[in-house]
Parts: sequence; structure tokens; C-alpha cells
Amino acid sequence: MLAAGVRFARLVNNSTMPAIFSRSADFRFRQAGVGLVVGLALFAVGFYYYALPSYTRVGYRPEQPVAFSHRQHVGQLGLDCTYCHTAVFESPHANVPAAQTCMNCHNPKKANVKGASPLLAPVRTSYDTGQALGWKRVHKLPEYAYFNHAVHVNKGVSCVSCHGQVNEMAVVAHDQPLSMGWCLNCHNEPERHLRPVDQVTNLTWARGSGPEDDGAAIKKNLAVNAPMNCQGCHR
Amino acid sequence: MTAPHDAHRPPLPDPLPRIPLVWGPATYESVTDQISEVTEKAQPWWWWPAFLVTAALLAGGVVAATYLISTGVGVWGSNNPVNWAFDITNFVFWIGIGHAGTLISAILFLFRQRWRTSINRFAEAMTIFAVICALIYPTMHVGRVWYIWFSIPLPNANHIWQNFRSALIWDFFAISTYFTVSLIFWYVGLIPDLATLRDRATSRARQRVFGVLSLGWRGSARNWRHYEVAYLMLAGLSTPLVLSVHSVVSFDFATSLIPGWHTTIFPPYFVAGAIFGGFAMVLQCMIPARAAYKLDHVVTIKHIDVMCKFILATGTLVGYAYCMELFTAWFSGNPYEWQTFQDRAFSGDYAWAYWVMMTCNLVVPQVFWFRWCRQTPWFVLLVVTLVNVGMWYERFVIIVQSLHHDFLPGSWGRYYPSWVDWMQMVGDFGLFFTLTLLFIRFLPMVSMAEVKGVLPMSDPHRRPVPPDRYLKGEDGEYPTADHALAAAYGPPAEPRAEVPPSPEPVPAFVSTPGGDGKPWGAVAEFANGSQLLAAARAAVAAGYRHVDAWTPFYVHGMREAIGRTRSRLPLFTLAGGLTGLAVAAAFQFYLMAYYYPTIVGGKEYRSWEAFVPVFFELTVLLAGFFTLFALVGLCGLPRLFHPLDSHPTFRRSTQAGFFLTVEAADPKFDADGTRAFLESLGGKHAAVVEA
Repeated sequence: MLAAGVRFARLVNNSTMPAIFSRSADFRFRQAGVGLVVGLALFAVGFYYYALPSYTRVGYRPEQPVAFSHRQHVGQLGLDCTYCHTAVFESPHANVPAAQTCMNCHNPKKANVKGASPLLAPVRTSYDTGQALGWKRVHKLPEYAYFNHAVHVNKGVSCVSCHGQVNEMAVVAHDQPLSMGWCLNCHNEPERHLRPVDQVTNLTWARGSGPEDDGAAIKKNLAVNAPMNCQGCHR
Repeated sequence: MTAPHDAHRPPLPDPLPRIPLVWGPATYESVTDQISEVTEKAQPWWWWPAFLVTAALLAGGVVAATYLISTGVGVWGSNNPVNWAFDITNFVFWIGIGHAGTLISAILFLFRQRWRTSINRFAEAMTIFAVICALIYPTMHVGRVWYIWFSIPLPNANHIWQNFRSALIWDFFAISTYFTVSLIFWYVGLIPDLATLRDRATSRARQRVFGVLSLGWRGSARNWRHYEVAYLMLAGLSTPLVLSVHSVVSFDFATSLIPGWHTTIFPPYFVAGAIFGGFAMVLQCMIPARAAYKLDHVVTIKHIDVMCKFILATGTLVGYAYCMELFTAWFSGNPYEWQTFQDRAFSGDYAWAYWVMMTCNLVVPQVFWFRWCRQTPWFVLLVVTLVNVGMWYERFVIIVQSLHHDFLPGSWGRYYPSWVDWMQMVGDFGLFFTLTLLFIRFLPMVSMAEVKGVLPMSDPHRRPVPPDRYLKGEDGEYPTADHALAAAYGPPAEPRAEVPPSPEPVPAFVSTPGGDGKPWGAVAEFANGSQLLAAARAAVAAGYRHVDAWTPFYVHGMREAIGRTRSRLPLFTLAGGLTGLAVAAAFQFYLMAYYYPTIVGGKEYRSWEAFVPVFFELTVLLAGFFTLFALVGLCGLPRLFHPLDSHPTFRRSTQAGFFLTVEAADPKFDADGTRAFLESLGGKHAAVVEA
């Protein structure tokens, strides 16, 4: 009876109301809704991965005017950081060396290590003319953040903590995010990062179990009081 | 019959004939046609010029904002000490305007004030637009607008969070919750009307747009039973919101130490002022719209009358607060407070603004003690314009006057608005009226589904009155002037007794596109709600279980008639509220006491009192979202395709048609038998619909 009814209806009644939406519209509508939610979630995840300094700044590795290798000079030859960066313990700003420092070894008229190397030509020019080498700055803090380099290293914060294993870098790269949250991680619990002051430039130091390596004791002895208030850095 | 002790009053009949909410012979069809046609036909001649003017003003606001963003906040006249000036004045002004919408939609709903149905849609739309206008200012006044997201609590690379003990973050939560819940409330109210527009649409585009927006609403009684409860839940959630939003806005001032701001009277005084100004703005827009679209039988003189009484009451409350502020300043003996108020009211640079405020807000509304003043639209329009001016000046006085005289005479200063201030402010009015004009153009400005529910013809208990006795007492006279006014529109129409004919013959078996040949169920159309109610009861009594009724508005008693119980939707609302509360508690305690412990105001890290505003706001916010999602989920929406749509007259179900269906899933269902049964109950256009 019903089947006959259907056939009859199809045959006679051509004027069924045109449906606004097809049968599959609801499925597609829900699909679009799920797609929207998934898309928003992906956007959020992507934003938190790609838009933060941990992605945008870490790994910045500009090509420098001279192919100076920290791996060779520090890692293999064992130069101390302060041999070149002489003022890091005294100055609020960490300095890069003048060409004079390079010329202590590379001066063709003196020690003459690789004195004729074309790779060192910019250094020799700089030394002769007094024009600074155009080193590209890798680590840069915003102007509204006050940062004193000397205070940090004198209170037992190692070079490694902020600059990474420079002794293993052929070309210096940005190792840490240097975001505000990253600063606060250490300011919140400095004892987990402090080391004896005489080990600050030792890039291969590992914390021992002796009392001299105890972070809390170092914090106490050096009177470390890392500010957690806004004015500590935003003066 | 007259009580003897009422001798000083004219004798009133007892019971007094009840004046209907909609006047004249309105029917379901006439209401549907009149309201829908505003959005379907060409606009009256003045619409385009009006739109061009408001859009031009809005463009000016865009120019001002662009100039500010590209140059800096210095282009405003705000200075030190008047750091907040036009920006926050306008912000508070617009937030206040928004209050009438929520009050009408929520509080009056809970108090069963059914006259709200004629104006709630318009007032709610104004709430939304006013909050949008208000949000412009906090965004602009931060200067670097691209950092406005800093006000949102989001995990960030700086590892810093907002201070949850600050009135400003309470304000952020209060306003965003208010906006969101108002939007949900507005949208839920719109769903049946959007379905009406879908079913009336003749163009494919309109059908599809309104089809998606209405989520496939068809007025099923199974959906109405959830809908009515969801609406009640949202009204219950919005009611405390009305009182909280302006209280929290007032905390921005009251929790500071500035003389003139630091008073506990602020929250109730701000809320009263907000309702006062909000009702004024509703009337400001509603009176011209009512005249232009000939809605005077829907938005009657009585509506205007009642709203004027609100204005009178809240205006007097506000005036009391003004006087009390002065008294407290004097009585406190605090020299700073007293000098501020002396400066404000008598001797200062802004005393003129104070007296504009006093005149417009306290003195002028007192005319509403007189009936003529409340019931003469042009006069009401004049008064509410002054009220709006007065309310703007109230915020100006509170903000600018208090700031310009600080504790130290050495830091006193004056404020002069710049042209950018003026352009931004005028542009904001342009934005508001542009949105209002677009709303009138594209959406039904009166809630059709609700108005149909309050028509005299939809009351099943009404007794017919002979036309010549309509609204008259036993003595043949109109008991009050209001009765005479309403009676002048004519007696109400009777519900129709016959189902109108179908434009095309209805086959016994209606096939659907892509159908599988099996029946979905049987359907029949009935003439009116009472007949449908009786038919549904008869169907259930006959042993059918899968019965559903499809009506343009919720017919009282239909839920029980189709054999259903009260919706369990409130459980979802409760779950949402508890989730919001738990989230707010965990969030605030973790951030303020453990993650980044901060001392604010010398309180303990874990002191909870200052967390209460955000507890409240997140509770309401999540309860609102859960209610919306529960409504959509329990109703099985979105349901864009439905077999019933193929029935030639079924699209009347969202306009003026009443349908009963029995589904094939019913064990007692038998295609021919059930169809015949529905016809035997008086159903017309009966058919079996293919699944």
C-alpha cells in the first residue's frame, strides 16, 4: 500500500515544496562546526608555539663579519670568557672586544697566528683604521627592561644560563628566549641556577654535591635578592 | 460594585475590565505580516537619508579613532589631573543605556510583566549596541590599542596576570559577561522569529540565511518546553547582572580615594541612574519607530505611560542620591570631600554642568506625575531627550569635576575637549543609530512569537464580550480614560474557527526529496491553539506516545498535552554555574596566592573577598553558555532539513498555523489509520509524510 502510495505521489504530485536545505545539510553544518572548533584550537596551539620568543628569538644566528668560532677559541683552546669580554664583571653592559684583543695573537707583526689569513682581513683593517668591526648583536633586551650584567655574574649567574653552551657554538646563536617570563623563572627561584662565583665562566661546570655548590647557601652568602616587583626591571 | 470607603474616588467596576496588551483586532497573521514586512519590503522614504546621516557621523568617529591610533592619546583633551574625561564619561553613559534592555527582558519577565513583550526585542538590541558603543572607549583610551588584549587573562610569555583585586579587571569581567549573556538572551529570543522570516522568505538567499540563523526551529512543542525553561533560566541569570554591571562600573570610582568618588552610595545610585537613562533611550528610539512603522497598537500609549513611570521613579531615586551626596560631604566633616562638593555644586568651574544634571534628571522628570505628560508621545520624546542629556552630564560631572580638583591645590587643572573628543563622541552616537537602523531593516523589531502569546485571542479562558460593551463597566461607561483609549482601537479579533485552504492540493502521502519511501509520520493542521490542545490530548488519550504539536508560540499547557514533563535543562544551567564558580576560584587563588603572590591593599595573599565579583561573573557567564548549548542540544538543533518541510502548509507553523504530528516510531502508528484518526479530531490537510 505504502510503496504504491509513494509511486503514486511521485507520479502525480510534482509540486512538493522545494526544500531549503538538502538532507545532507545538517551533517555538513555540524562538520563545519567541528571544523571551526578544531581550527580555533589549532590556531591557539600554533600561536603559542610560533608567536612567542621561545620560537621567534631562539635560534637567531646572524652571519657575522668575521667567522669567529667560539667552539675553537673557548671549547678547544680554552680561552676564558673574560679574556675577550673584559668588562662583564665590572660593567652593566657586557662588551665585545676591540680588534686589539684579536691582534694579541693574530698580529702579523707579532705572534702572527694566521697572520695572513684572508678570513682575518676585516680584523686587520679594523685594527689599522680604528673603524669598529660591525658585529651583529645577538642578545638584545628591550629598552624598557633595565638589566645590569655585572650584578648577575657577580651573584653567581653563569654565562651558560643566558647564553647557552657558547663553547660549543661555531657561530653564536640565541639560546634562551630572554622573555620576561623566562627572567622570572630564575628570579623566582635563583637557588636552582646559582653557582660559585669563581665557576661563573666555566661553561662545562656541573653542580657537585659539596657544600660549596649548594644553591641556597650561595644565595645566602652572596645576599642574592632577585627582585620580583615591577620596578626591579622597569625603572 | 464599589467599596464604600473609596468614596473619594470615582466608582470603579469590580472586576475592572482588563485592558489588553495589544489593542485592536490583531491576529496571529496580522502581527506576523506587519512585523515581518518591515524587514521584507522597501523601507520608508526617510530610512536612507537617516542611514546616510548616521553612517556619516560614524565615519567621523572612525576618522577620529584612526587619528588617535596613529598619533597617540594626546590628541584628546584628557590631561593631568583630568586623566579620564570624555572617554570614560561616554563609556559609563553607554553602559548605562544598556541597562533598560536587560531590565525589560529579565527582571520584568521574572515579575510576569507581560507588557514587556512589545518592547523587549528593541530594548535588548539597544543593550547590545550600547555595550558595543561603550567598548570603543576603554579600547581607545589605552592608546596602544593593539595591546588591549593585555586586559584579557591569557597565558603569556611575560608570565604576568591581571590583578584580580582591581576594580578594573572586575569591570572587564562584568562588561564582557554582560555583553555575552545579553547577546545569548537576545539570540535565544530571536530564534522563533528568525524561523518565521525563513518560512516567509521568497528568495533563496533569505531562506538560507534565516534558515541557518534559526537553526531549523519549527515550533515543536518538544522544543518549546525546553525553550521556555531556557528563557526563564537566562532571565534569572540576567537579573543579578543588571544590578551588578553598573555596581562594578561604579567600583572603578568608588574604590579609589578621589574626593567625589570615594562613596559607598555609588553602586545603587549608578544602577538607578542606568535604568533611568536606559528607559529614556528606549523611548527615544521606540517613539519614532512606533510612529514610523504604525506600531501604536502593539507599543501602546500604556507602554509609554508605564515606562515614564519607571523614569519618574528612578529619576527621583537618582535625585535623592545627588542630595545625599551633598549631605554626606557636609556631614562627614571631611574638608577635602566638602570642598569638592562645594566646588561641584556652587563655586566651581563645572557648577553649570552640575545644575544641568540636576535640572534634567531630578526636576524635569517630575512632570511625569501628570497623565497628559506620560501619554503624549511628542512631549515624552522631549523629556527623554533632556533625560539623556542630563545623564550624560551626570557622568561628566562625576568624572571631570572630581578629577580637576584633587587633594593638592597645586595639582588642580581644567579640562577642555579637543575636536577629536567631540568627533569620537558624535561618531559613537552615529554607530549606535546606524546599528539601530540596520536592526530595524533586517531583524523583527518586535518579538512576534511573544506578542502572539499575549494577544487576547490566545487566552483560552477569555469570555467573549459584545463589541458595544467592550472594556465598559456595568454602567456602560469606560471606567478609566485608558479603557477608552484602548477601546478606540476596536474589540479584539476572535480566533479563527476554520483552517485556511491550502494553496495547492495536499496529497495523502507527501514525498520528500531523497526520501526512502518509509513514512516519517502523520501530520494535520488545526484552526487554533485550543483545538490543537484538545486534539493533542485526544491523541495521547488514544494511546499514541510519539505525539508532537507545532505552534507559532508556546501554547500554554501543550507540554502536558503531548505527554511530556518539565524540561531538565536547569540541571545544565546549574552545572554551568558551578563550573564557572570552580574555574573562577581555582584561577584567582592559584594566580594571586601561589603563581605570582601579590600584596594588594595590605591584604593576605589568600583573602577571598576581592575575588567575589569574578566568582559571580564567571558563574553567570558559564551558566549562560551551558544554557544555550543545552537548549540547542536538547532540542536536537540545528535541524536544517526536516521531512515536514515538504508538507504544503507546514511552513505556517511559525506564523499562524497549528499542527499535530504522530511519528512512525510510535508502536500504534499505522499510516492510513493514524491519518484518518487525525482527521477525525478535526485536523485538515492531513497527510503521511515520507521520512
